[in-house]
Amino acid sequence: MDMEQSTRHPLMIEARDISKHFDTEAGRVELFSRLNLEVARGESLAIVGRSGAGKSTLLSLLAGLDTPSDGSVRIDGQLIETLDDRQRAQLRASTISFIFQSFHLLPELTALDNVRLPLEIRGAADPAHDARHWLREVGLGERTDHYPAQLSGGEQQRVAIARAFATRPSLLFADEPTGNLDEDTGAKIIEHLFRLNEQQGTTLILITHDAELAARCQRRLRLHNGALEELVT
Amino acid sequence: MSLLPRLALQQLRTQLRTTEWRALLLASWLAIALTTLLTLLGDRLERGLLRESANILGADLVLSSSRPLTPERLEQIHATGVDQTRVVQFPSMVSNPAAQDRPPMLVSVRAATAPYPLRGEIITEPPQPGHLPTPGHVWVEARVLDQLGLALGDTLQLGYSRFTVSAELISSPDRGTGFRSFSPHILIDRADLDATGVLAPGSRASFRVLMRGDKEAITALEAMLRPRLADHERLLALRTDQPLTGDALGNALAYLKLAALVALLLSALTILLSLRRFSLKQYSRSALLLNLGLSPNQLVRVYLYQLLAAWLLVAVLGTLSGVLVESAVQGWLTNLLPQRLPAPTPWLYFSGAALGLAMLILLGLPPVLSLARIPVAHLLRGDAPPQDRRARSLQVACLALLSITLLLFLQTPWAALVLLALLLVGGVAFGYIAQSLLQWLSRPLASRLLLGRLLQLRLRQQRKWHRLQSAVIVLLLTLLAVVWVSRADLLAQWRAKFPVDTPNYFVINIQPWQKEGLDRFMAEHRIDSDLYPMIRGRLNQLNGAPIRPQLTDEQLQDNTLRRELNLSWMREQPAHNDLLRGQWWDATPERPQISVEQDMMEDLGLKLGDRLGFDIGGQQVEAEITSERQVEWTSFRPNFYVIFSPGALESYPTTWITSFRLDGERKQLATQMLEAFPSLTLIDIDQLLAQLSVWLKRLGDSSAMLLALTLACGLILMAVTLLQALEQRRFESALMQTLGASSEQTRQLDLLEFLLLGLTCGLLAGVAAEATLAGLQLALLDVEPRLHPWLWLILPLLSSAFFVGIGFLIRRPLRLDQCYRLLRAGT
Repeated sequence: MDMEQSTRHPLMIEARDISKHFDTEAGRVELFSRLNLEVARGESLAIVGRSGAGKSTLLSLLAGLDTPSDGSVRIDGQLIETLDDRQRAQLRASTISFIFQSFHLLPELTALDNVRLPLEIRGAADPAHDARHWLREVGLGERTDHYPAQLSGGEQQRVAIARAFATRPSLLFADEPTGNLDEDTGAKIIEHLFRLNEQQGTTLILITHDAELAARCQRRLRLHNGALEELVT
Repeated sequence: MSLLPRLALQQLRTQLRTTEWRALLLASWLAIALTTLLTLLGDRLERGLLRESANILGADLVLSSSRPLTPERLEQIHATGVDQTRVVQFPSMVSNPAAQDRPPMLVSVRAATAPYPLRGEIITEPPQPGHLPTPGHVWVEARVLDQLGLALGDTLQLGYSRFTVSAELISSPDRGTGFRSFSPHILIDRADLDATGVLAPGSRASFRVLMRGDKEAITALEAMLRPRLADHERLLALRTDQPLTGDALGNALAYLKLAALVALLLSALTILLSLRRFSLKQYSRSALLLNLGLSPNQLVRVYLYQLLAAWLLVAVLGTLSGVLVESAVQGWLTNLLPQRLPAPTPWLYFSGAALGLAMLILLGLPPVLSLARIPVAHLLRGDAPPQDRRARSLQVACLALLSITLLLFLQTPWAALVLLALLLVGGVAFGYIAQSLLQWLSRPLASRLLLGRLLQLRLRQQRKWHRLQSAVIVLLLTLLAVVWVSRADLLAQWRAKFPVDTPNYFVINIQPWQKEGLDRFMAEHRIDSDLYPMIRGRLNQLNGAPIRPQLTDEQLQDNTLRRELNLSWMREQPAHNDLLRGQWWDATPERPQISVEQDMMEDLGLKLGDRLGFDIGGQQVEAEITSERQVEWTSFRPNFYVIFSPGALESYPTTWITSFRLDGERKQLATQMLEAFPSLTLIDIDQLLAQLSVWLKRLGDSSAMLLALTLACGLILMAVTLLQALEQRRFESALMQTLGASSEQTRQLDLLEFLLLGLTCGLLAGVAAEATLAGLQLALLDVEPRLHPWLWLILPLLSSAFFVGIGFLIRRPLRLDQCYRLLRAGT
């Protein structure tokens, strides 16, 4: 399915006129309206913006985790709103990965098991072997049996990166990946992230308020007052 | 209302909607109800039956003897000038001559001399003018009326005499000691006793002198009598620690209290976990209140008020339900207990509430005090309260205080400590075994199912909680299964192990002049039985010297030295005894020989060729051990530690004993035998066992009820532990869905996990229960262990239903759009 559609759809993400609003007791709150966005396969894109601008909501819409109030999102050519829960899960498992600001490793599982988790979900043939390979890729080949609590913040984020790439996703979302790390560690993490991204030809969508980090992406957008503005260097 | 209490009440009102506070209140409620129930019931039973009081003793001082009291002894007492009276108590069969179809009934007969009793009073229905039945009349307890189909005014046969039943005995002091005090009683005047012919020299009976006087006289009398007591005498006095009504009920109470310990521990654990979860959620609120100007002291007071308000709520509910259940249980025991129970001591109504308060405060203080130490910076950076040595020592001190309180409540600290240790060791072992079993069971699933592989990761992720949960559930289910099965099963099994021809009647106190007639009766009716002579004697010499100095302290405690032995003599070796060593005598040897029971040989370190000396009614008899026998004590046949060769004992006062079996129609022969020989003491084993089994069943029912309450505590604890991990579970579920699992998959994974956990715990509990039951069967009853296949089905089913039920009650499904928000919120 993936390969067939990949060849037919050069656009990894295609968002048309998407809006998101919430109904609260005080009335309707509109986060953004009629946004349009196209992301090409293999492209790296940074979305910047101040806190509360709706970056994370936009990310969950683009990742198919949420549905827009209006408009449509296509991921890898598939119209999200037409997919049921199982099909969306399948799309996520086969296509999408995430890297979070606070790593989100399961504390009771070793580094190896944490990387294995998404491989097990998609039913990979030899999850342990793959997981070991990706831990080596991020320089943690010797620490596979360590629990998250036994790893430093940077190491935990490297495990998260290994987990994200282990399923060889076509689309990777990274939400403030260096937000919880000091500058030096953050810089190393970025190196790992962009190196693997380049190697794998993954489409990367990065949410950050770090201008330097954003500058490493091919394209930068700013979410401001409910609208997306292209930033040119 | 001032600010702090108001704030506390508002907090409580909001908190009542949270699961942790509901669990806390429910657990405290159960703990309070259970404590109230046990304290009230224990107090009433103890004051009614166990504790010695003048009312129960029927006197200030009682001298009890298994032999008729000597004239010298009576003279000693008479000389002191205290009031005294005498009573004889013995077991006997009574019957209703007007209803031949009803079998005779085993009762405890008391024949007393007026004035009787010397303290307390006999209550009858209808009330009678004197303290004793007039000659020719008898007062009987309700159970006798029921079983023999008698009404007031009817005739009752005891031995050769017939009595008119003139009143129902409602309650009476001086019931005697041991199991006989629980048998149905009848009361006659001592003057009527001889005519019944049931008591003859050598008969088994308790002969008592009741004494009453002023304090000095009684103290002096006690001081005089106690050092001079013969082996067959006991002195029962007020304020001495000898229990009057045997240890059985005391043991039963201790046992019930120990069963309650498990429930109290589970409640305490629930409260502890609930409060921990509650306090974690209160960090921001506390930091905010401190930031707004509340002093740490005031903050502590707010939370303590909240705990007090919660306590007040559960104290009222818990005490009320405890009192209600107690009156139900008491009503249920009424027709089993020999007398009405006194009202409970008033302040004990508050015991449950007091223990509940201790639990809430001692468990609540450490988290509340830590809330007061939360830095205001928590609002900015999420700092937790400092976890220093002070906080930890407070926690340890509070837990220690709580343990002491619980142990004091249970009054059996050592037994409780042993139980606690067993529970801990068992719990840890079960936890680890269950965990390994889970991993092992998930392996085949992992190789076949995608979900199975996720399950393996889930099992690793949840292993700590699984250990705690399975430990609690396996222990609870094991206890429940053991009590449930043993309450009916063990006694039935014990009875079933006897061959079909095991005797079910004993005849004791057969006098020499009755022997010939009885032999004839047996032969005529083809009753298969042998009569054995019985002579009472005390072992006092070994190889010509006093035996006591020759034995170790442990040997001196042996049963055969602590009381008079029933000795016998016979020509032939009894068919139901096997000869282990030595030789049985051929005819009448020149010098007396004896055959000694195997355990007695071993315990006293005796060997063939040793000479044992016996004091028989003041005369010394010596004999040489020439053989050693194995005796099956539970064969329900007359058995003896020591059997003499013919010629040694014939000249001593002898009674005869026999046992036989009668079934169905032939049970009528027992009635006929009593008619032909009214003075015989016939003991119907079936009746005796029936009385015993009713007691065992009631005890079993009571513990099953307690365990059901305990299970309820376990259920709440389970809910709380699942709740503790709920956030983590939701988080894990959100992550899995983000990584590509569908919500259906996470639901199935939860179901599979709970199902497997339930099955594992059920299986383990089945194994543990079977092992415990087998142990009981082997150690207690000496029967072949029997498996209970239905346990293997019921326990896994029950335990799976338990986990899946609670799991899905607590589980809240997670929508996809919530997943990312949840993960973001955890940033």
